Amino acid sequence: MIMAGAAAGYALLAGAAVPYALARAGWPHRSPALGVLAWQGLTLSFIVATALAVYHLVLTDRHVHDGLVGLLSACGPGQAVSKAVASPPTVADAALLLMPATVVLLPLGWLARTAWHTRRERRRHADLLAMVGTDADDYGVTIVEYTVPAVYCLPGRGCRIVVTRGALDVLTDEQLRAALEHERAHILGRHHLLRLFARAFARAFPGLPLARLAEAQTALLLEMNADDRALRFHSRDALATALCEVAAGRVPAATLGASGPGALIRLRRILSPQTKPHRATGLGVVIASIAAPILPLLLVCVH
Amino acid sequence: MRQLGGLEAEIMDRLWSWGRAATAREVRDDLNKQRPIAYSTVKTVADILFSKGMLTREKDGRAWLYRATCTRQQYTAARMHDALEGTPDPAGVLLSFVEQISAEEVHALRTALRAAKRRSGS
Repeated sequence: MIMAGAAAGYALLAGAAVPYALARAGWPHRSPALGVLAWQGLTLSFIVATALAVYHLVLTDRHVHDGLVGLLSACGPGQAVSKAVASPPTVADAALLLMPATVVLLPLGWLARTAWHTRRERRRHADLLAMVGTDADDYGVTIVEYTVPAVYCLPGRGCRIVVTRGALDVLTDEQLRAALEHERAHILGRHHLLRLFARAFARAFPGLPLARLAEAQTALLLEMNADDRALRFHSRDALATALCEVAAGRVPAATLGASGPGALIRLRRILSPQTKPHRATGLGVVIASIAAPILPLLLVCVH
Repeated sequence: MRQLGGLEAEIMDRLWSWGRAATAREVRDDLNKQRPIAYSTVKTVADILFSKGMLTREKDGRAWLYRATCTRQQYTAARMHDALEGTPDPAGVLLSFVEQISAEEVHALRTALRAAKRRSGS
């Protein structure tokens, strides 16, 4: 019961307290990749701790402490193995194990569903591009004759970068190349997969502060990461102006709901040079992100 | 299936560029300049496009005349509008350089950019 309480407390911390602090912290904006890692570590910690809490709630005082089997059984589904040695498992035991397993299977199920849905939509868009796009070899992009400025990438298999005629009209060559480099960073970094994980988790646990914040922050941090790559090859002025021009051309007739101040945060960040966090800070974040999901497992095993 | 999708694009491309109605045979003949393709395949895909509402067809003697229901520009505008505007892309299908934002936010962007340029200029 104590272990269930401790695990639940850990899950609560990871799911509803730490996310607010992490969303307000300054260092993720200075090193977006570290920030994304931290959000993923936090997400994994929540899943592990919640699964353990549920597990201990349904299987109190059934710990077996004998060597490796005991360690395994105290940590998860291994319980079934050790119990099989002692006494044949009943259907009730299996049903009990299902509950903590659900905590893990739920986000996995949403991951599969979201991935399938996204894949289908991307194919549809690829079909559309086949019909209305023309390949421009000098930029290595697909151009669409559409008046609204837009620069985006279609990630995944057969990935490509798309530029509309509107964007070609408002951007100078240097600005366009900066925007394209930003999109190339998304493709090279497989950013769509990280977005997919965050999305699936948000769908699996709606209403959870961690889920909501992790999805929004991951998206923003990945944009910042792509901005940083573009800035390695292009000037701050070119990227900032490109961002401004494309955004201005896309203004909708009706005001959009809270889309968040992402664009403004990015612009300010592009315009002022960023100092990377101290190396020790970086190392600390990496260690914490890896240790946080493992810690509850270790505590339960040692107990 | 993917090849059919490619052929759909090729057929539409012909009909859009010609800007007039054409029979499946005419389209097939034009496609044959690049690669051999069966008349029945072209006819099948043209009928798929008809069922999708992208082509109309009318009898001309013994053959069907196919015509694009809208111009390339109209089709592009409608479909791109669906893909890029309105509801913010929920599934992250596309990764946009910058998302759609409100007029106030654009104003804030411009102000920040101008201020930065003044600072670096002076």
